[in-house]
Amino acid sequence: MTVELLLGVALGGALLTYVLGKISPGLRNAFALLNALALVVMISLLYGQSFERALPLGFLGLELSVRMNMLSWFFAVTILGIGLLSVIYSLVYMRNKERLDYYYATLLFINASMLGTVVAGDLLSFFVFWEMMSWSTYLLISLRGGSKAIFAGIKYIVMSLIGSLTMLVAIVSLYVSFDTLSITELAGHVQSTTMGQALFVLVLFSVTFVIINALWPFHTWLPDAHAEAVSPFSAILSAVLVRKGLYGLYLLMYAMLGFSMLGKLAWGALSYSNVLAWIGAITIVFAAFRALMQNDSKRILAWSTVGQGGYMVLGVSVATNLGMAGGTFHILNHCIYIALLFFVAGAIEYRTGGIRDLDSLGGLIKRMPVAFVGGLVGICGLIGVPLTNGFVSKWLIYKSLVLEGRPFLAFAAFLGTWGTILYGYKFIHNIFLGQLPDRFRDVKGIPFTMAVPIVILTVLIFLFGVLPGIPLSVVDQVGTYLGFESLNVSIWGIPSETGTLNVVNLLAALAVAGFIVWLVLRAIGRSVSVDQDDTYAAGAAIPSGKYHYTVGFYSPLYRIVGPYVRDFVDAFFLKIAGWTGSVCGVTRKIYTGFVGNYVMYIILFLAALIFVQIAWSPW
Amino acid sequence: MVSPVLLIAVPLGLAFLVPLISLVSRRAAMLVPVVACLFNLVVAITLMPGVLDQPVVEKIGGFPPPFCINLYAGPVGVLFAALIALAGLGIAVYAMAYIRTGPVDRYHLLYLLLLVGATGVVLTGDVFNLFVFFEILCISSYALVAYMGNKSGLEASVKYLIQGAVGSGLLLMGIGLLYGQFGTLNMADIANRMGSVNQVSVFVPLALIISGLGVEAAIFPLNAWLPDAHSSAPSSISAILSGIAIEVGLYAMVRMIFTVFGATSILMFMVFLGALTLLLGELCAFAQSNVKRMLAYSSIGQIGLILFALAMATSYSVAGGLFQLLSHTLSKALLFLAAGYMIYRSGSMEISSLHGMGKRMPLTSLAFTIGAFSLVGLPPFVGFPSKFLIVRAALARQQSIFTILLGFVLLGTLIEGAYFFRVVQAIYFKKGSGETGRSYAPAVALVSMFIFAALIIFVGIYPQPVADAVGSAATELLDRAEYVRSVLQ
Repeated sequence: MTVELLLGVALGGALLTYVLGKISPGLRNAFALLNALALVVMISLLYGQSFERALPLGFLGLELSVRMNMLSWFFAVTILGIGLLSVIYSLVYMRNKERLDYYYATLLFINASMLGTVVAGDLLSFFVFWEMMSWSTYLLISLRGGSKAIFAGIKYIVMSLIGSLTMLVAIVSLYVSFDTLSITELAGHVQSTTMGQALFVLVLFSVTFVIINALWPFHTWLPDAHAEAVSPFSAILSAVLVRKGLYGLYLLMYAMLGFSMLGKLAWGALSYSNVLAWIGAITIVFAAFRALMQNDSKRILAWSTVGQGGYMVLGVSVATNLGMAGGTFHILNHCIYIALLFFVAGAIEYRTGGIRDLDSLGGLIKRMPVAFVGGLVGICGLIGVPLTNGFVSKWLIYKSLVLEGRPFLAFAAFLGTWGTILYGYKFIHNIFLGQLPDRFRDVKGIPFTMAVPIVILTVLIFLFGVLPGIPLSVVDQVGTYLGFESLNVSIWGIPSETGTLNVVNLLAALAVAGFIVWLVLRAIGRSVSVDQDDTYAAGAAIPSGKYHYTVGFYSPLYRIVGPYVRDFVDAFFLKIAGWTGSVCGVTRKIYTGFVGNYVMYIILFLAALIFVQIAWSPW
Repeated sequence: MVSPVLLIAVPLGLAFLVPLISLVSRRAAMLVPVVACLFNLVVAITLMPGVLDQPVVEKIGGFPPPFCINLYAGPVGVLFAALIALAGLGIAVYAMAYIRTGPVDRYHLLYLLLLVGATGVVLTGDVFNLFVFFEILCISSYALVAYMGNKSGLEASVKYLIQGAVGSGLLLMGIGLLYGQFGTLNMADIANRMGSVNQVSVFVPLALIISGLGVEAAIFPLNAWLPDAHSSAPSSISAILSGIAIEVGLYAMVRMIFTVFGATSILMFMVFLGALTLLLGELCAFAQSNVKRMLAYSSIGQIGLILFALAMATSYSVAGGLFQLLSHTLSKALLFLAAGYMIYRSGSMEISSLHGMGKRMPLTSLAFTIGAFSLVGLPPFVGFPSKFLIVRAALARQQSIFTILLGFVLLGTLIEGAYFFRVVQAIYFKKGSGETGRSYAPAVALVSMFIFAALIIFVGIYPQPVADAVGSAATELLDRAEYVRSVLQ
């Protein structure tokens, strides 16, 4: 099994899907599904392998190569896994929509180019795949049409283009200095570079990765893009695409520069890792508050993606083996629960006729039980409730922050989690609990193929929550690949200097506690079922119409914090865009339309040339 | 061994045959430019391997230089000739379907003359001969801009004529001064004697020639004719003007600066001018709501980028500039051709009238998208290797001034990306009002667009042959002594 074949199947499959769609939609769906499945099988076969190979085709005298190692494998498996689930989910979700050939082909193409970025063995092919990923994503974000989706698409691509231009400069600067772009070779050469160049390259790369990972202050594209894309694609965006930024940071910080180089880039307390950690912390807190204020199911999730990215960066920038494991594991966990939540939000949208507004949903628990369970488990994972996967990774991150003596960062992380609890509850409550509006009386449950990914992900959340050793052994190998000390992972949990995490003990304690509660309730006596209205109004007369409090949820909180958590960065960027527009408007006035002026320009240019030469003779 | 004279003589002869052939059959007349371009392409490709080793100096009339007019078919000249023939071929195929009304035979006659002029400029080794070919190029383009015969076309053509005439006048004055000073018109001979005269006294001809050629090369602030002319001309003519004519102007200017004058001290100024042209062009393009004007301003920006790269005058940067020139020719021709039929079908040049074109004309829209992505420099299209080379050249200079200028250049690319992505979105994702039925462009036009699109992708993925060719072209442009030696030996 080779990586070339894997890439070939991924890219070729995307193109073939489009062609097959012209023949028959059924064939196209079957092929897309088969292709995604084949890729998952192939990547599983590559587990544990490590090699690097040159591609037959060079580019401008540079050798291109692909490679496979634990880091690549870890990211590749998330990409292909979520890709497969997305395709399964799309089968029904996208049915009867327009441009399905285009949709499936682009979706698979995006997955293929993301796969390319993580298996690239040199920075040039990394960049090429990166750009392909950028423009194909842009082509899919606006698929739904409408001014909001179009705005989201342009916002994304402009920011992404800024990122790729800075990255191009950084890559070429490395190329000019060391005459190679192979990542492994650069890792050796970079140690001898000057501090100035290291900083130059580091900052330029970081801009790219911070943009795509949507960290404050470059997060502004994400909420729009993720909310406006179609839901199966939002899942891909949130779960894997944004994490290409973290993959880039891993490459840059640990695979290429290494600790010694990073350690040297410090002026007192102001070090690269510190700055990155604080960016992560700000992102966590800011995104948590912003998420609280959203009234759109997918926007809440989009903001939570911003915030969770902050946790990962915190873990990564602490740079202990525990922190790295936490950050890396959180990438996997986030990928699972955010895909699940987007699938749930998409299912709600699908069954209610495109409703994402949390004020008008409610009470769907009985109509869509699978979605409720999926949503609840997903939110628990997001919050980090024990026995879900999110708990383990957050525990590792907190632990490493505390151990490294970073109380303020740890406090920011806690604050973010409290915010997460609040907006997570809002998500569950406003969609599933409360009063069922009349218009949703006849809403049906989730169709089978949409339920499959939801169930799989729900199970995974529990599985990785109860048996964190399974994914952690992979995460640990990623860490050791990057040069961190190995962790002593057991199937139940992970030991550390200040106490061991053992999820099984937690499980036992919880089971005992639950049993006691059950016994007590049983001893007290039978419960009586009452109508929902009676519990709400305690027997008083009930006004007709909508009376439960899903409308204006947390509105007192809005009034208090609202003025402080405006997204001023976004406003600032939009201002800049507006200014650019007016500068352009002014600039075009140079071309007045009068040919006399134009001839004057020509003569003045000539006169200026001669005058300057006579006066100063610079030439 | 085929002679480079054929590259000029055959199309010139065929051009004057067009009116005669059209007496017999109008359809046959349409095929003449296609045949001529095909011929030129084959000849240029046959010449290419030979001239990479040793440039061919063709002495007209058998007198040795500097007493004759000579052609100089080095890597640069043949590369340009091949590019002109290639773009000319694609656009001529397109025009077979696109140009249906008006004096069709005269269109094809002028079109061929334009190509002859362009080929002559890039092959000649004589400054006055260069002026003559330049005038052939310009005069046929003045006429072609007004081909539609509508008010805006005539107005644009007259404006272009006035500015072009001023430019040509300045060029002629410059050439006259050179002749007065050196008593020769042979480029190699002038270059050879350049060191023997006072540098101040050749500055005035240099300034005149830069200003004169700068008009056709569309360098700020000499480029005001371009947006009007390119947007009012028929789309096939916009494509050839944007893809070939201004590039040839730029070539002439760079040849003058590098080879004839050897004026290295003015290069830094040209680098600044290039960056400025780029930035202003892109800013203006961003503000346009008319798609052809937008493309026209974007050509100004691209010319600025090419000038920026060429004027850095390292072998990397000149190679990058020439590669960018080639990728601009392919991409911009494709964009104008695709836009041409979209405009034809929607009846308006406003971007807002292109809404929903992705559904109505899927193949044409795809062609437009490929052209746009390539122009912005996204892989795997041809714009990427050239952008990569230019960035490498600028950083390889290892001076902060070039890094800063590169920042501005990339800012221009960003703005370019923004307005192209806006149009692509308008084509695909905005709902069009009115007609929604499929309406494909004619098969011939689609074939022509397909040729450009396939080349854009092919060279984008496998740039090595082109990179080799532009590499040796860069060596030729930069090696002045070798040019003089091979002509005057």
